[in-house]
Amino acid sequence: MTLRDTVGLALRNLGQAKLRTSLTTLGVAIGIASLAGMVSLGVGLQDQFVGRFTKSGMFDAITVLAGGDLPGPLAGGGRGRGGPAPFGQRGTARGAAAPGNARDVNAAALAELAALPGVRTVYPNVRGPVEAKFRGASEFAQAVGIPMDMRGEGAFQSIPYGRFFTSDTEDACMLSLDYAKRMDAEHPGSLIGQTLTLNYPMARRGDAGAPSGGIPIPGAGGLSVQRAELQCPIVGIVERETGPFAAGGAGAAGLMLPLGKAKAMYEGSPQAAAAFLRDPSRTSVTYPSAVVRVTKASSTQDVEEQIKKLGFQAFSLNDALQGAKRAFIILDIVLSLIGSIALAVSSLGIVNTMVMSILERTREIGIMKAIGGSDGDIRRIFLIEASAIGGFGGVSGVVLGWLVGRVINFGANVYIQQQGGTPGNLFSLPFWLVGGAIGFSIAVSLVAGSYPAARAAKLNPIEALRHD
Amino acid sequence: MPAVLETADLRKHYQMGASLVRALDGVSIAVQPGEFVGLLGTSGSGKSTLLNLIAGLDRPTSGTLRIFDQDLAKMSSDELSVHRRRNVGIIFQSFNLVSTMSAAENVALAMMFAGVPRTERDGKASRLLETMGLGGRQKHRPKELSGGEQQRVAIARALSNDPHLLLADEPTGNLDSRTTRDIMSLLKDLNERDGKTIIMVTHDPGLAREYAHRTITMLDGAVVES
Repeated sequence: MTLRDTVGLALRNLGQAKLRTSLTTLGVAIGIASLAGMVSLGVGLQDQFVGRFTKSGMFDAITVLAGGDLPGPLAGGGRGRGGPAPFGQRGTARGAAAPGNARDVNAAALAELAALPGVRTVYPNVRGPVEAKFRGASEFAQAVGIPMDMRGEGAFQSIPYGRFFTSDTEDACMLSLDYAKRMDAEHPGSLIGQTLTLNYPMARRGDAGAPSGGIPIPGAGGLSVQRAELQCPIVGIVERETGPFAAGGAGAAGLMLPLGKAKAMYEGSPQAAAAFLRDPSRTSVTYPSAVVRVTKASSTQDVEEQIKKLGFQAFSLNDALQGAKRAFIILDIVLSLIGSIALAVSSLGIVNTMVMSILERTREIGIMKAIGGSDGDIRRIFLIEASAIGGFGGVSGVVLGWLVGRVINFGANVYIQQQGGTPGNLFSLPFWLVGGAIGFSIAVSLVAGSYPAARAAKLNPIEALRHD
Repeated sequence: MPAVLETADLRKHYQMGASLVRALDGVSIAVQPGEFVGLLGTSGSGKSTLLNLIAGLDRPTSGTLRIFDQDLAKMSSDELSVHRRRNVGIIFQSFNLVSTMSAAENVALAMMFAGVPRTERDGKASRLLETMGLGGRQKHRPKELSGGEQQRVAIARALSNDPHLLLADEPTGNLDSRTTRDIMSLLKDLNERDGKTIIMVTHDPGLAREYAHRTITMLDGAVVES
């Protein structure tokens, strides 16, 4: 018997019992709709989460620190702290970040990091203490440099008041909403366009005690600290502080300057100047750390390894993202299990329908065997009937699940908008899910149909022919 | 020419409750090509059991059952289904047509199992029904046909895969006397004109003697007269 004939006969049999076939198919459709809907919800939530957080710059950012001895908690833990080895040899056994290969984060290093494959952009972390004066009050703050390509990302995804910087060297600043509220609790938006006066320390080469009025730095011959001033219009206010990783900084900061501006300030700072003095072999300014942004969050781990091989210390929140992904896999599994309950019930419906059908058609099965139908022919007819129910049920279930998802999504977004949130697609139905759901439906139906089909195939033809 | 059918000490025993039923108890017969054999006996004599074994619908408990030199007792379930579709055509007392299929579809179904392509089997089904005098009844369902017409559809189906051996189990048991003669002369034609070997089970000795070349009479699972 050819496959085509078997399929034709199976479909014909299903057509003979239209009501029963369509009810069973509807049962499968509901099962698949609930399963596909649940998985679709899991995928949608994951897309929302991963999408937003990837955009936040948390997971595609690697913080790079100088290799070797660096004070501070990030350089601790013995890594890169080889210390002098016995017999005056330099310790090298500690890997790439050992003191022997210590690397500074300077202009050359930034260029080298930018050239690594998979790296989108590299910028130094620049921050420094400033005194901000406004309407006679003054406050000390950390000013942090923001690169231009943070526009539209992370904390800058939405700017409630004002705008992002227009150029890298603009005399302009942005504030966090908290900071702005400290300046004007009632109408933070009214600060846009107002001018903040920033005072910051600047190193100046010259004779100690010169009439410039600078404060000499002890032990740093010829250097003195002066007070510099910058008139800085407030151009924008962002809702969130730029978190430890969002802007690539080492802590939250309420006051943001364009990176170019901040770099110029940093290069003139006593901190940077002092570093030159400590090590005259340095040829350029060194930064405490830099941020490497990768093109794909998935390559973060690889790039991080490469950076470590270059002799830097590097770390990222990639592990946290992996953890979040694992959490979503568990969520997906839980959702699919809930969705599977309906499918399990409907697969019992298939078994029931097929068993009923065999009882009704016992005599017909006997006839088919008597005129030459083999056990295999009979089994295949019933398996194809079951899988056709699964196929039709799968297709209509995916459509049904999609429709229900759209309705729930619509309702949820109305609510989210009422609560002031950003609407999004809570349900996502990628192609793999459509194909997978239909395939799974057919597979489940085949499993459900296998017992009735085997029973039909094993019927004794003589007894079947005696059946009424 | 070798025998179409040859059995030796054929036995079919089965358990029914606590007692062992010896449906066939040592049957040895032979049927030659072109013969029309009437298998006589009362109800429970084992004649239908013998026919079912020959048809390959059941397996003997012991003994040999050779059809065209193949031992059915040693065949697998798949080989038996090949035997049923190639070697034998079966005609039942209660016609056994598929009620949801038309006359033509019933005839074509047997060829479908034999893997005959669609256009070929549809054409052949149509021709066979015409030779059975059912040219205008092809699209009719069994319940729209008279008993004699249904039996002719069943005969067309039995002939569809060109078997040499036709097995008829009380083929006229559900028919009136006029239709009985029609069906019997049709079978006689198939035997004489087309050379089909026919084994017909019947409880009516008169019918058997009128149409068959010879009769085999069974009683309690054994042949008593041949």
